[in-house]
Amino acid sequence: MEELSRWVREAGRFIRRCCCGEEEENEEEKGRREEEEEEEEVKMEELSFRKSRSSTSLPPAESDAYQFSSSPSGSQPHWFQTLQVRRFRVQRGRSNSDPLRGNSQPDEFTWKSGLRFGTENSYLSLEKLGEGAYASVYKGISRINGQLVALKVIRMKTEEGVPFTAIREASLLKGLKHANVVLLHDIIHTRESLTLVFEYVQTDLAQYLTQHPGGLHSHNVRIFMFQLLRGLCYIHSRRILHRDLKPQNLLISYLGELKLADFGLARSKSIPSQTFSSEVVTLWYRPPDVLLGSTDYSTALDMWGAGCVFVEMLQGAPAFPGVSDVFEQLQKIWTVVGVPSENSWPGVSQLPNYKPDWFLHSEPKQLRSVWKRLNQLPYKTEDLVQRMLTVRPADRISALDSLKHPYFSTLPPPIMHLRDTVSIFRVPGVVLETEVRDICNPGRKVRPSLLPAAKCW
Amino acid sequence: MEGPSSRSSHTQDRPPCPPGRRASCDGAESDHARDTKTHFRVCRFIMETGVKLEMRSVPVATACVLYHHFFERVSIRSYEPYLVAMSCLYLAGKVEEQHLRTRDIINVSHRYFNSGSAPLECDKEFWDVRDSVVQCELLILRQLNFQVSFEHPHKYLLHYLPSVKSLVNRHAWSRAPVAETSWALLRDCYHGAMCIRHTPQHIAIATLYLALNSYGVELPVGEKEWWQVLCEDVTKADIDAVISDLLQLYDMEAKCI
Repeated sequence: MEELSRWVREAGRFIRRCCCGEEEENEEEKGRREEEEEEEEVKMEELSFRKSRSSTSLPPAESDAYQFSSSPSGSQPHWFQTLQVRRFRVQRGRSNSDPLRGNSQPDEFTWKSGLRFGTENSYLSLEKLGEGAYASVYKGISRINGQLVALKVIRMKTEEGVPFTAIREASLLKGLKHANVVLLHDIIHTRESLTLVFEYVQTDLAQYLTQHPGGLHSHNVRIFMFQLLRGLCYIHSRRILHRDLKPQNLLISYLGELKLADFGLARSKSIPSQTFSSEVVTLWYRPPDVLLGSTDYSTALDMWGAGCVFVEMLQGAPAFPGVSDVFEQLQKIWTVVGVPSENSWPGVSQLPNYKPDWFLHSEPKQLRSVWKRLNQLPYKTEDLVQRMLTVRPADRISALDSLKHPYFSTLPPPIMHLRDTVSIFRVPGVVLETEVRDICNPGRKVRPSLLPAAKCW
Repeated sequence: MEGPSSRSSHTQDRPPCPPGRRASCDGAESDHARDTKTHFRVCRFIMETGVKLEMRSVPVATACVLYHHFFERVSIRSYEPYLVAMSCLYLAGKVEEQHLRTRDIINVSHRYFNSGSAPLECDKEFWDVRDSVVQCELLILRQLNFQVSFEHPHKYLLHYLPSVKSLVNRHAWSRAPVAETSWALLRDCYHGAMCIRHTPQHIAIATLYLALNSYGVELPVGEKEWWQVLCEDVTKADIDAVISDLLQLYDMEAKCI
């Protein structure tokens, strides 16, 4: 442990040297490039160091290390002590991502004024949360203000550079600030990796559904649905499509706040609809028009996904699950809503995958006969589901209209007039109910907040 | 490969340059004018390369906007503009979902600078160039703060054209290639930084206005001007500003060749 802290101090000194050097030579244009590289190398060294630590159990090690640090100051949380590299003088010109720029709550206590956004060592990663196709996600803590963060470390391939999903996610999320959209705090880049720093959210809807099988409390479904639609309404008004809605991408905080996440497939949509690539959206949540090969989809795409999530929360099981191929998926949908024809959906026969002979005939069914839970709930629930799972995209309800649907009329009225960044739980009377399963097993009553979050995306 | 080469090319002692890049340096002109010319040529390179790579109009436009935003922030003397241009093309492909391979960009660019020569071998020089393109992409992302989604005038123009068409006499419309001309004018806007100084709506209106005027196509006079109907916040002064910028670009074209 002693070695560890010494190493860190060494590294700190080294970095300080490099950075001061940078200051002196700042004006020299010729040297600029080389210097940048040198500095990045340092940061990378540090990163690999950090990673190797994060794989072991970190907090106890940290508190041990604390004992060796020489200058403890009372107000600081102990485990930051040893990793402090004193770089107060260093002005980093390249912190190009300061989410709180300017209007950072000045009254809030900051732990270390020397640390800046956009730098590697402003964050400490604690444990690995998950591994994706192009990124690993770590739980971390910000050494700037002590907030928990999720660090999405994106590996960069030398051939292809920055993955396009990362570019899209970063460029779209930078402009979004809403209580129901995951907040991108910061972006850190080194030569070999790119780290997106998000607010830390405890769990996601997929996990929440697993923890509470058999369908959620109808009151909670309403609260989650309202937030989901509120988030969608916001991004759609910014002309952004999510394109990949599914429970795994809906984060849930311990309070019950729902946040849209994973914008890797999201993109800005333009007004006169343009053709996009049709390989988007997980099959289960994909609307029939896209399955039929339509590429001029728009916001209605996300509304279908939201409708599927709605049913899944009520039923405890996916609405149209378990198939691998587009035609099977379409058949699943047709058995509920009926095979569309030119009469019910003008233009449908023009879509590339529309092959009526392949589809088994089926008539539209009452949704309450397909999803039994709807039977136990007031009619307006079924009505909203119906409007969201409308086959013809032009007839599908919009996010804005769905928020005004009578289904939500039981929520306190002020909820409709919140500012974008205010959570609905600020409205008095809005609370999550205890899920049935928790009542049945009072012995092991679990709050989502207390459960270990294996995956937070 | 002469133009965009690896990082070592940033030292000053390096012999220039792609054809024409220095050709018209007559000493007397100001730095600013020279830089504008360089940007003009590099943008032409972006567009030509884009066409050869079969990119659609919007990704090419995005590449140009990326390029202009980048050099809005840094001096052209710090970075090799043609390398930046190659990375802009690459990045634009990712942003607009028309993915390009670095290999193709490098080959096409190589041919641009050394016409008639064989493609680069897969040797160290090639890998160096590729690494530079990829590194430069990240540099652009940093400089632009990852703000790389742009709104372009193209969709507005597409939107305005049918409206204007419906107002114009059918025969007059068929005689004058207004749609083609305004589209061409729009594409030409990207040679200069004017594409980031004006709003997309204003650019679309102005190119349409210029195209209509050039062919003497007349629109019926009503309570409001036609452009006020299409776009609420545009003024005659805005249109004139865009057109004046555009004409300056054409003026520059004459000087650059």
